[in-house]
Amino acid sequence: MAERSRESRRRRRGVAALAAVALLGPTAAACGGGDDGGVPEINVYYAPEENFQQVVDDCNQQAQGRYRLAYQVLPRGADEQRVQMVRRLAAEDDGMDVLGLDVTWTAEFASAKWIREWTGQQKSEASQGTLQQPLESASYEGKLYAAPKNTNTQLLWYRSDLVPNPPKTWDEMIKMSQDLKSQGKPYEIDTMGAQYEGLVVLYNNMVASGGGKMLSDDGGKVEFDQGAVDALGTLQKFASAGVTNPSFTNTQEDGARLQFQSGSGAFQLNYPFVWPALQEGAPDLKDKVKWARYPGIDAGTPSKVTIGGYNLAVSSYSKHPAEAYEAALCLRSPEHQLFSAVNDGVPPTIESVYDDPKMDEAYPFKADILAQVKDGANRPITPAYQNLSTVLSATLSPPADIQPEQDAKELRGSIQDALESKGVLP
Amino acid sequence: MAVMDQSAAAKWRWSLIDLVVIVFALIPVLWITSLSFKTPATITDGNFIPREWTLENYRNIFSTDQFVRALINSIGIGLISTLVAVVLGTMAAYAIARLDFPGKKLLIGISLLIAMFPQVSLVSPLFEIERSIGLFDTWPGLILPYITFGLPLAIYTLSAFFRQIPWDLEKAAKMDGATQGEAFRRVIAPLAAPGVFTTAILVFIFCWNDFLFAISLTSTERSRTVPAALSFFQGASQFEDPTGAISAAAVIITVPIILFVLFFQRRIVSGLTSGAVKG
Amino acid sequence: MTAETATKPTTHRARAEKKAKTQLSEGRKQERKLGWLLCAPAAIVMLAVTAYPIIYSVWLSFQRFDLKFPDQREFIGLGNYITVLSNQYWWTAFGVTMLITVVTVAVELVLGMALAWVMFKTLVGRGIVRTAALIPYGIVTVVAAFSWKYAWTPDTGYLAKLFADGAPLTERASSLAIIVLAEIWKTTPFMALLLMAGLALVPDDLLKAASMDGATGWQRFTKVMLPVMKPAILVALLFRTLDAFRVFDNIYVLTAGANNTSSVSMLAYNNLIRGLNLGIGSTMSVLIFIAVAIIAFIFVKLFGTAAPGSEEEGRR
Repeated sequence: MAERSRESRRRRRGVAALAAVALLGPTAAACGGGDDGGVPEINVYYAPEENFQQVVDDCNQQAQGRYRLAYQVLPRGADEQRVQMVRRLAAEDDGMDVLGLDVTWTAEFASAKWIREWTGQQKSEASQGTLQQPLESASYEGKLYAAPKNTNTQLLWYRSDLVPNPPKTWDEMIKMSQDLKSQGKPYEIDTMGAQYEGLVVLYNNMVASGGGKMLSDDGGKVEFDQGAVDALGTLQKFASAGVTNPSFTNTQEDGARLQFQSGSGAFQLNYPFVWPALQEGAPDLKDKVKWARYPGIDAGTPSKVTIGGYNLAVSSYSKHPAEAYEAALCLRSPEHQLFSAVNDGVPPTIESVYDDPKMDEAYPFKADILAQVKDGANRPITPAYQNLSTVLSATLSPPADIQPEQDAKELRGSIQDALESKGVLP
Repeated sequence: MAVMDQSAAAKWRWSLIDLVVIVFALIPVLWITSLSFKTPATITDGNFIPREWTLENYRNIFSTDQFVRALINSIGIGLISTLVAVVLGTMAAYAIARLDFPGKKLLIGISLLIAMFPQVSLVSPLFEIERSIGLFDTWPGLILPYITFGLPLAIYTLSAFFRQIPWDLEKAAKMDGATQGEAFRRVIAPLAAPGVFTTAILVFIFCWNDFLFAISLTSTERSRTVPAALSFFQGASQFEDPTGAISAAAVIITVPIILFVLFFQRRIVSGLTSGAVKG
Repeated sequence: MTAETATKPTTHRARAEKKAKTQLSEGRKQERKLGWLLCAPAAIVMLAVTAYPIIYSVWLSFQRFDLKFPDQREFIGLGNYITVLSNQYWWTAFGVTMLITVVTVAVELVLGMALAWVMFKTLVGRGIVRTAALIPYGIVTVVAAFSWKYAWTPDTGYLAKLFADGAPLTERASSLAIIVLAEIWKTTPFMALLLMAGLALVPDDLLKAASMDGATGWQRFTKVMLPVMKPAILVALLFRTLDAFRVFDNIYVLTAGANNTSSVSMLAYNNLIRGLNLGIGSTMSVLIFIAVAIIAFIFVKLFGTAAPGSEEEGRR
């Protein structure tokens, strides 16, 4: 099965490459917008997704000659994707039409006037049936700036042979892990703790689950209430309880996955991509691993987990905005979201897609994902989110050294500066 | 008999030293090579020698022509940039080493200034210039910056070596009856060769491995070089790094460097020892 | 090209001298023209590509300019410089950068010299040694850094096993050491290549004369070879130091700047690219440039006449 999927993946990639070349053929990518004999060319800048080219091809068919889509692949890393787009948008490049934006970039791009607002018919089409939290991530100052395409959220994965009942709170999980450790069994809680965005996500999970707030509701001022301070304490406790992997403070998503697959972990907090990877990479473990909802802070309150994902926006400098809106809506239509979910492992943002039986095999955990996304928490929505994230991750790292009261005071000042773009980023 | 023992002993000593050098230089390279032959399941088992071997990674990177295009771009852009930078640099270095003219110190100062200014700040304005004159995502769009940033090193290296050349030999050869061309070719050129080939190697490696300009001044396979192309390799999912593929690519792109260096390294030293300098 | 002082019969000495003088200034003029002509292409290319970007960067450093808030752009003179120079993150990064620079360059000079000696003098397998020694420099930096990260991470690599059960990349001192090691491994060949070519230029007869005078191997090295190699050493040291000061790739991949291991380049990158703060980012670039210029100035002064274009040596 793995062999066949790899074979077909390769074949599809070859076809994809050919298709891309064919589509790009007459386009002078340098000047962008090399329309071929009156048919507008719509350039879609999106992260590398193995089967996305097929979605693009399908939308080309549905366009029936009114426009032609070209899939321009962006680099693998989110930061690099942003850099590529920002550089060109800052230069008012008209060669980009549809942009694949990470959920945290909407406010920034909107504030810099790089993306267009969605209004009227397009807005209602993009919002219809879409889950609330992803929709909020695509909005800024009450206006919609993008159409949510896919979402993502972390789950708790655990070894059912070691842990009969999954924990519901952080305290419970830490205690279970410590018990396992004293029994000499695999005990680690593997998750991301390097000084990067993933650490902010981890912290945000704790803040949101505890009902805390980092920023005021309008995103303009820092609030950092008691919930946020308590979350600092929880994070510090987790990092110093002796239950993490030795490389915890240098671990990102793939690293955490590998740690868990190596067998030393009893728990893992990570995105669903680990599931198919586990099937392939650690076949001896796959029958012993189950999933559950991400742990919360209080036993009675279900956790609120950070959502990730991508939204599709239209560039302000696009020469064919009408076609671009249409293309974006097609690319994230329910049928295409189903296709991408099953083939590329990216959870949908339209609720009805979850009911489709085709989701069951690829997403045995779809119920948990849907529940978490419905309850989910966005990271603070502000144009200065990158600043905030950089400052926060620098203060939170290494988590074992956090001093809640002191760091909270410091953060109130440095986050406020970050929001106003004052001072120097670490 | 004693002489032969000595040189045999010397050979053994040198062999040992050679081995130490090779080991230290190549162990990390062997590690990358070993990563490139590991299966996805074993890629992180920490063993130096793969338990399970596979050519899958190599097959993967050649399954589309993305990587091959990038290789072609790298080779073409690298060679052209090196050639032009060495030629221009030789001319300038000759002038600096041998001639006196106002503005000499200024030129040297400016070229050093260009080498010193952090390139990360220069990329965005450069991008805007290239976009407006249509050079963005083209070969000249990369070649010009590479020449520009390779020239300071070229000029400094070449002038350092040109200073060492006893130019009087040229006059002596001419007085011995050689023509200007012969004097240059047989006497000066071999003495200039070490500097020129050293510079060529260094500039080529700079162009070959540059990432910043490659990722910022290209956007499609038309001109993207290999280091930038590595960022576009797909893992099995958004979060998985295609370590195997990247390692395989790294091994493959090191091969041209090896060839380039093997070809040029003899010429660096052959100059003085070739016997052109006689009497 | 050489202004040959004409050797004329002494009977016309006065006229000859006068003619010689005008020929000299004619020659001088020709020399200048030739000099400019030869330098022009290089100068034009360099200036055409970098003049605007450098000037633009410097100009930006005097402004408060954040791409996310384009309406708040304004000229603030030296405000950014004060902000950066009074900021503790800058000075921490500066300290780390200086440490890495000094250590790597010092070690590389010694190692590079030794390596150059081996590459030059070895009796066995010359081509192989020279090529093998240069390979580290030829590998793409990010890939090498990535492989080091794997090697030093417990479970995934073979080097971490040397550290019992610690994770060396999560502690400041050990991660700095690993970064320094990665830098040294990667760029010693650069020094070695330049030094080897320098070694190749030492005239054999000088060495023979010295040994006939009774000089020991070490004396021949320090009194004959090193002085002749000074220009090559200067180039190697200068460029290596400039690059070491701007270290970025290795740190980015190995630790992402955690535990205060960021360099000034990483700081500039974060502010410029992540924070989209063109004002602060450009200011940092200018400051890095100034720091590097000071270092270059010191080197050139130290090496005096070994600097290119500085004196008579080598001409005529």
